Amino acid sequence: MDRRSFLKGIGVASLLAEGLVRRLFAREIPVVAVSRDKDYRRAAVRAVDLLGGMKRFVKPGDVVVIKPNMGWDRTPAQAANTHPLVVRGLAEEALRVGAKKVKVFDRTCNDERRCYVQSGIAAALSGLDRVELKFIENERFHPVAIKGGTLKSWELYGEALSADVFINVPVAKHHGLTRLSLGLKNVMGVMGGNRGSIHRHIGPALADINSVLKSHLTVIDATRVLTAHGPQGGDPADVKVLDTVVASADIVAADAYATTLFGLKPEEIEVTVAAYRRGLGEMNLRRVRVVRG
Amino acid sequence: MKKISPARLSQLLFLLLFLVLFVQTEYRGSDQLAAAVNSFFRADPLVAVTVLLAEKTMVWLVLPGLLLLGLSLVLGRFFCGWVCPLGTILDLVTPRIRKRGALPLLKGNLKYWLLLPLLGAALFDVNLAGLLDPLALLVRGLTFFFYPLFGDSARQVWVGLYRLLGDNRDYLAPGYALLRDHLLPFRETFYPLALLSTLLLVLIIVLERYESRNWCRNLCPLGTLLGIAARFSPLVRRPAGLCADCGACRQLCPTTFDQELLQREECILCLECQRRCPAQRVTFGFGRRPAGEPVFLQRRVLLGGLVSGFFLARVFRFRSPAAQARLLRPPGVTDEQRFLQSCVRCGECMKVCLKSALYPAIFESGAEGLYTPHLIPRLGYCEYNCTLCGQVCPTGAIPALPVEEKRRQVIGKAVFDKNQCLPFAKKTNCIVCEEHCPIPQKAIRSRTVAETTDDGRSVRLQVPYVVTELCNGCGICENVCPLEGKAGIEVFAVNDRSPLPAGGEPPPGGGEEGDPYGGAG
Repeated sequence: MDRRSFLKGIGVASLLAEGLVRRLFAREIPVVAVSRDKDYRRAAVRAVDLLGGMKRFVKPGDVVVIKPNMGWDRTPAQAANTHPLVVRGLAEEALRVGAKKVKVFDRTCNDERRCYVQSGIAAALSGLDRVELKFIENERFHPVAIKGGTLKSWELYGEALSADVFINVPVAKHHGLTRLSLGLKNVMGVMGGNRGSIHRHIGPALADINSVLKSHLTVIDATRVLTAHGPQGGDPADVKVLDTVVASADIVAADAYATTLFGLKPEEIEVTVAAYRRGLGEMNLRRVRVVRG
Repeated sequence: MKKISPARLSQLLFLLLFLVLFVQTEYRGSDQLAAAVNSFFRADPLVAVTVLLAEKTMVWLVLPGLLLLGLSLVLGRFFCGWVCPLGTILDLVTPRIRKRGALPLLKGNLKYWLLLPLLGAALFDVNLAGLLDPLALLVRGLTFFFYPLFGDSARQVWVGLYRLLGDNRDYLAPGYALLRDHLLPFRETFYPLALLSTLLLVLIIVLERYESRNWCRNLCPLGTLLGIAARFSPLVRRPAGLCADCGACRQLCPTTFDQELLQREECILCLECQRRCPAQRVTFGFGRRPAGEPVFLQRRVLLGGLVSGFFLARVFRFRSPAAQARLLRPPGVTDEQRFLQSCVRCGECMKVCLKSALYPAIFESGAEGLYTPHLIPRLGYCEYNCTLCGQVCPTGAIPALPVEEKRRQVIGKAVFDKNQCLPFAKKTNCIVCEEHCPIPQKAIRSRTVAETTDDGRSVRLQVPYVVTELCNGCGICENVCPLEGKAGIEVFAVNDRSPLPAGGEPPPGGGEEGDPYGGAG
């Protein structure tokens, strides 16, 4: 082989190889990390580490939005809101890998001031530099067109849309209408307008919203879960302690796995099925790689 | 610069205190408000006297008001000249208003004709004192009009900045957050009767065109009550009348020296006459009351006043049944009659209501219920864990209850309107009301049924129902119902407002001891 053809060969091979890698990457089976730990902050951090660490999601200088569920005037023990230590752990990790700013907010169902305080999240985040726990401001909602959906357009929260990284941090819990409330449902917290009205076709509607507001990372807090009377609960008898945090870059896969923690199948959850059909991720757990730590 | 008088200094400090307490009457992250926020009302003798007359039993909450009345028996009407924030506001504006001379209409016994019917009505179980109490007038004017206006204007500027600067506005956000957290109302609520409340305040200021402190000396029922006490005060001015050679007091005195003799029931003890007496002749000291004071309360005024109070309490009892059905009182109010006896219509509960659920009644509870608070669920709901209205109520008309007890108080009961509610009327799923129902065991539940829609599809439908025994009528279901305009579920008043049984509740504190982020309690 002469030098010319050798070089040609190398060039062609490298082109091919790169395409191959890209295709492999695209088809890469989604990974769901499951971490169990009584220290909820450590559980959250380890779950992200199992996916390759926060640096895989957050680049230095990024503006990061962490969207917990803190919609209810309930305490952490009542399991209606994301556990404050999970939120704190993720915020610290984002800062550690160089995030310029971490914004935390939710459009709450009860009085926002009470929710932020009572959820424990205000206390958990106090003292963290460059972390802003913000109230929703109505003027920041912008209408976003949705292609091929049930909803033609909806008002979404500007700061969620403009973030470099959107980290979706729901708490896993029972819900009267959708059976479970997980990552896909948690994005309701950045919806403006009369969001209750989407309840009449909630599966496709949530798939619509998730198709325009992508969660780069979904971390599901299943440290303690509401098994009945959700999404708000209030009765400690309905709370089950699992000490588990589930994380994935694939929101559907994360939701699908978390569903099994309640003894349910992903296909029983209308919202998950609708998102899967919409191509937002994988719900078949046989095509998902689960890593534990 | 003119040296400031001690009275003026005290007035300014109390006005400042009043405004600080007013702004502090708001949730600021702690479940408990400083007990001081309603101290002006607790120390209000008119409130104290009318509540005691109406309730006919000792209400310890109003003890400071009685003490102040007792103090006025000794010192006279010092409250008006040294403390009352409305009086201070009048003193601040009155030098800028040209006087036209007293209105004869306001002279004579008019002030007694205002005070005595109020006392009479209270004696006959309806406490209307708050309608004309100067502190209530001021708080309502501020709460219903000026504060929302102030908050809304500030917010409009803030929103305008966003339209102008977009996300760059965030550089200014810490400054705004400081304002929002400490000075502005968290959300601007617009109230019915805002116009009336402001007009009354404006009218009081307009009266300054005729003479200074016109409201205070001729109308104010609190001032009149204190004036009656002042009659018995041993604190006297010497000389008691104008001196023949000078008469400067007539110009110096803001309230009483339009006649030759000092009117003790109108003297507010500002001590201007002493301070600025050209001959330094005037002194105040304890001693015998001068002879020759006129009789100040004729028998016909006393009796007439009390009788008209009886009519006030009885005659305006017409109530529209439709409005009555929706007359939801704040949590813990179980007896309408007792409530009308003790509510001073001060507006504090409406000011502090976390979710802007409380509004002043116009005629919902009849003419006698004007300005009393009631809950309008479509506009706001009673937050499950919030106890602020009971904390700020100066007379206990809304009882101050621990949170576990307050959660069980029945405001009303929710009822579905099957012509509106989506699962019934349109056969589509919804249950937003069930989702938001704060009762841990859920007072709104649903059963799943197979249904055929009007266009022939079969659907699995979640049909909601109310578990009446668990419903406390907080109104969140009606508030969040996604239907436009009228809700598919509504809360109606009920006669039996006995609290829900304690069994259905989680143990106090929910067992979260040892949780470092367990919230502020």
